[in-house]
Amino acid sequence: MRPARPLTPFLVSVLVLLVWWAVAHNSGSGWVQAIGDVVFGMLVIGTLGPAVALVRVRVELVHAPADTTADMPVTVRLSTSTRARVCPLEPAGPAVMIGPRTGNTADEDVTLIPDRRGVHEHIVVEVATAAPFGLQWWARRVAIPLAAPLHIAPRMGEPGALPRLPDEQTGHDGAVLAAHAGETRGVRDYRAGDRRRRVHWPATAHAGRLMVREMEAPPAGSLRLQVSLPHDSEAAERAAENALATAVAALDRGMRVEMSTDEAAGPVTEAVGDRRTAGRRLARAVAAGDGPHA
Amino acid sequence: MSLIEAIKRANQPGPPEDSIRLRAAAASAVLVGVAACSAEYELARSTALLAAALIIAGMVFSYVTRARPPGYIKLLAAVGAVSLLVWFVHALSGGAITDITTVENPLTILFVGIQVVHSFHVPSRRDLVFTIAGAAGLMALAAAQSIDMTFVVYAVPWLVLTLWALVELWRSTSGGARVSTRATVGAVGGVCAATLVVFLLLPAPSVAVRIDFVSRPGSGGPVPVPGALAGDSGRVSQLARPGTPAGPSRVGGYLGFAKRLDTALRGSLGDTLVMRVRAQLPSYWIGETFDRWDGQNWISTLPATHPVRGGSPFFLPLPPGDIPEGQPNLQTFYIASSSPDLVFHADRAQEVWFPANSLFTGVDGTIVSPIGLGSGAVYTVQSYVDNPTPAELRLAGGGGGDTAPGRHGYTALPYAYPRVAALAASVTAGATNTYDKVQALINWIGSHTRYSTDIPPLPAGADTVNEFLFGTRVGFCEQISTSLAVMLRTLGIPAREAVGYVPDSYNPVTDLYEVRAKDAHSWVQVWFPGYGWQSFDPTAAVPQANPSPGGTALKDVGHALGRIPAVPVGVGAGAMAGVAVLTRWRRSRPPTWAEAVAREMDRAGRRCGRVRKPSETLVEYARALDEVRAGNDEGWRPLAVRVSGAVYGPADVPLRAQNEMVLAARQLRASSRAFGHSKHIGPPG
Repeated sequence: MRPARPLTPFLVSVLVLLVWWAVAHNSGSGWVQAIGDVVFGMLVIGTLGPAVALVRVRVELVHAPADTTADMPVTVRLSTSTRARVCPLEPAGPAVMIGPRTGNTADEDVTLIPDRRGVHEHIVVEVATAAPFGLQWWARRVAIPLAAPLHIAPRMGEPGALPRLPDEQTGHDGAVLAAHAGETRGVRDYRAGDRRRRVHWPATAHAGRLMVREMEAPPAGSLRLQVSLPHDSEAAERAAENALATAVAALDRGMRVEMSTDEAAGPVTEAVGDRRTAGRRLARAVAAGDGPHA
Repeated sequence: MSLIEAIKRANQPGPPEDSIRLRAAAASAVLVGVAACSAEYELARSTALLAAALIIAGMVFSYVTRARPPGYIKLLAAVGAVSLLVWFVHALSGGAITDITTVENPLTILFVGIQVVHSFHVPSRRDLVFTIAGAAGLMALAAAQSIDMTFVVYAVPWLVLTLWALVELWRSTSGGARVSTRATVGAVGGVCAATLVVFLLLPAPSVAVRIDFVSRPGSGGPVPVPGALAGDSGRVSQLARPGTPAGPSRVGGYLGFAKRLDTALRGSLGDTLVMRVRAQLPSYWIGETFDRWDGQNWISTLPATHPVRGGSPFFLPLPPGDIPEGQPNLQTFYIASSSPDLVFHADRAQEVWFPANSLFTGVDGTIVSPIGLGSGAVYTVQSYVDNPTPAELRLAGGGGGDTAPGRHGYTALPYAYPRVAALAASVTAGATNTYDKVQALINWIGSHTRYSTDIPPLPAGADTVNEFLFGTRVGFCEQISTSLAVMLRTLGIPAREAVGYVPDSYNPVTDLYEVRAKDAHSWVQVWFPGYGWQSFDPTAAVPQANPSPGGTALKDVGHALGRIPAVPVGVGAGAMAGVAVLTRWRRSRPPTWAEAVAREMDRAGRRCGRVRKPSETLVEYARALDEVRAGNDEGWRPLAVRVSGAVYGPADVPLRAQNEMVLAARQLRASSRAFGHSKHIGPPG
C-alpha cells in the first residue's frame, strides 16, 4: 500500500503548518494557531485517511468470461465495498471508478485489454481511493481469483502453407462432386451441370421445381500441427499467433487438426475441433523444455 | 519539462465541475470567512456585504459557464488580481506601519478581493480547491484579531462547511461515492483528534514581532486631572479615592488602585473580566507602588507627575538606579471593562504603545494614562524583565538601606516595631545576605500564617502588622505582604508594597491571559544593589514557566470532567453503549435461517482454515469441509443438500424444520471446534 505521490502531500502539509506557525507567531494570536491546527488536521486526515479507507476496501469478482483474445477488450464485472478507482494491471486495462454510489449498485464492468496470450487464474488490479476528502490517492494491488481460468488466445497471425486439396489440383471440374461422395446434407435448386441422379424427386414435387441433393464434402484431409514455442517471449507470441492462424485456416477448410503443444503439465497432443479450443491450447502452451519433463 | 511547459500545464483548465453541492460548500466557507473578517473589524460591513454579493454572483456565473468559460474572464481575473496586489503595495507604502491593523486591513481587502475576482472563474474542481484554501486564509486573518471565545461563532461554521466541501470534493472526484454517516463521523473525528494532538504538542505562539504593537483608545474619555489616578470606581470622570467599607464599589471590588491602600479593608473581589493580556512571559503586571507605611495604610508619596510626550510609542525614562538589562517581555493589554487609569505592565517598562499624546510616569515606575481606560482600550508595553538567580542576589549585597533610590522612605517605619524587629532578627539570624533574609522571612510566614479573605475587621487603633503576626496570623495578600515589608524594614532592608494583577487564567485557544478582578494582588519589592527592585510574593508562588496550551487544556478538561455528575452521566453512557451493542448485534444477525446455516458453515470453515471461495456453492463448500472431517458420517454435505433443497424447492419450509437445520449447523460447528484444532488444512490453490 502506498500513496500515489508520497512526497507532495507531506511537503504541502508541513509547509502549511510552517506558514501558519509563522503567521501565528507574527500575530501572537492563539486563534490563528488553532485555525492552523484544524487545517493541519484536515490535511493529515486527507493525506492518511485514504490509507485507512483502502485497508477496508473489499474487491470481489461478480462475473468474468473464460476466453478472450489478445488485444481484444473483455469486460469483467467487479464489486467493491466502497467506491474506489480500480485499474487492471494483469491483464492491463483502463482505470475506472467502481463501487457503491447513491442510487446505484456496487457492481460495475471493468475492461481488460490483454496484450499477450496466457492463462490467468486471477486478475491483478490496483485499487486506489482518496476518501474521505479527495486530497490524496493511496493505492494497493489486489489479486482477485477467477471462478474459471481466463484463457487469452493469441492474436491471429500469418497462416502457414496448407496441403493442396484434390479439387484444387484438378481445376474447376473438380468442384463437381461425385454423386456418391459423402452423405446427404440437404437439397438445393438445380443448377446447370448437375447430374440427373442427384435430383431429389420428393423435394422437387414439394417445391414445384427441380431440386437436387447436396452432399457433404469429402474429408479434406488432416493436419498435424506441431507447435514448438521458443523461449523468447516475443518470438513465442508470434509463433503462437501463426500457429493459431494456421489451425483456423485448416479448420475453415474442413480439415481435421491435431495440435501438439508443450504445456506446464507436459506435452499434449489432441485434436482441436474449433477456433476456441485452438486458442485455449495455444494460450496454455509454453516453450519447449519449460514443462515438468524438461 | 521546461518551465514554460510546466506553467502551461499548470494553467490548463481542468474538467468542468458539475457538483453544485461542492460549489455551494466552498462558497459558503468563503462567505463565513468574509463575515469573520467583518466581525473582527478588518473589513467594513458595507464592503463585506458587497464582497459577499459579488462572490455569490461570481459562483453562479462560474457554474453556468463552467463547460465553456468565456475567454475574457480569465484575463479580467488576472488583471483584477494584479490590480489588487498593486493597490495593496501602494497602501502599505503610503504611511508608517504602526501596528498590525495597518497591514491586516489592506491584506484582508486584498484576500477578499482576490476571492471575489476568483469566484467569477471557477470552472473546475481545482479552482474550487483554491476557493476552500482561500476561505482558510480569510479565517486566519480574522483570527489574528480575535481575543475571545466569541470567534467560535465563525470558526465552527467554517469548520463544518470546509469539511462538507472536502467530503463533496471526494464525492465529485469519485463520481458520486456514497459517503456513509459512519465514514463521515470517522473523518470528522479524525480531524478533531489530529487537531487536538497538534494543538497539545505545539507551544503557544508568543508575540515576537514588533508589528503587533496595537493601541486603541476604547470607550474611555479624558480624566479630570491629567496624571491623577482615576477610574477605579469604573467611572473615568471620578478620581480615585481611598477605599472605605461603605464606599463606592470598585472595578471588581479591589480598593488598592488609589493613592492610599487601607490594609484594614478588603473589597469583595468578583469574577469580572478586567482585561486580557497577550504576553511573551507571565509576569506580575504592576500598577503602582507604595513607599510610606503608617501602621494601617500604604501611601504613595511619589506621584506620577512626569509627563512623557511625543506620541506612541513612548520611550520611558528608566527609574533612577535601575538596571536596564533583562529579558524582553512584550505585553498587549486588551481592556475588557473600565479600569483605573494605571498602565499595568511588567517590571521595567521601557516602551509603551498607547492611544494618547502623552503619559505620566513616576520615579517608582508607575505609569498613569491621561485618558480613561474603558472597554475596548488596547495598549502594548515592552518591558525588559531582569530575573537574576538566587546566587546572583546573594552576592548582590548585604542589605545596605541607603543605596535605594529616592529618599530613605523605603526603610522608614512609623514607629519602632520592637516585637516585629525581634521576630525578624530571630528568623534571619542565620542569614548573611539580603536574599537569604527575605527567603527566611517568607518561609517563616508561610509556615506560621494562613491565607483567608474572611478575617475580622482590624480593631480601632491597632497596627495591621502586629495584629497579623502576633494576633490571628490569618490574612490575605495585603496583610501578608505588608508584614514582610515591615519586617524587612526593621532589618534595614529597603522594601515597598506593589499592587497590580497576577496572571491566573490562561486561555489556550486565544493564547491570552484572562485577568479577572479576583486576580488583583499585592506583593513586596526589595531593593538589590546592581539589580534594582526585585519582586517577592510571600502569598503565593509565581508560575515560572511559560504555560503550554496542551497542559492548560488538559488541566481544564480534567477540571471539567471532575465536575461532571458521574452517576447520571455514567448511567446514560452505559445505556447508550448498551443500545449501540444491541443494535449492532441485531444488525449482524443473519436475516434468514438459511443464511444462519451458511454463517455457521463459514465459521466452521474459517476455524479449520478452509475459507469459502466466492464461486463455491453451499454444497461444494460442505463437501470440502467434510474432507476435513473425513470419517464422520454426519457431515456438512447432507445438511447443505437439505438446506439447498429447502431454499430452492417449491414448498415452504416449516419453522420447525428451519430450526432443526440451524441447530444441526450449530452442533456441527461446535463439533468442528475440537476437530479444527487438531487438523488444519490450508486454503486450496
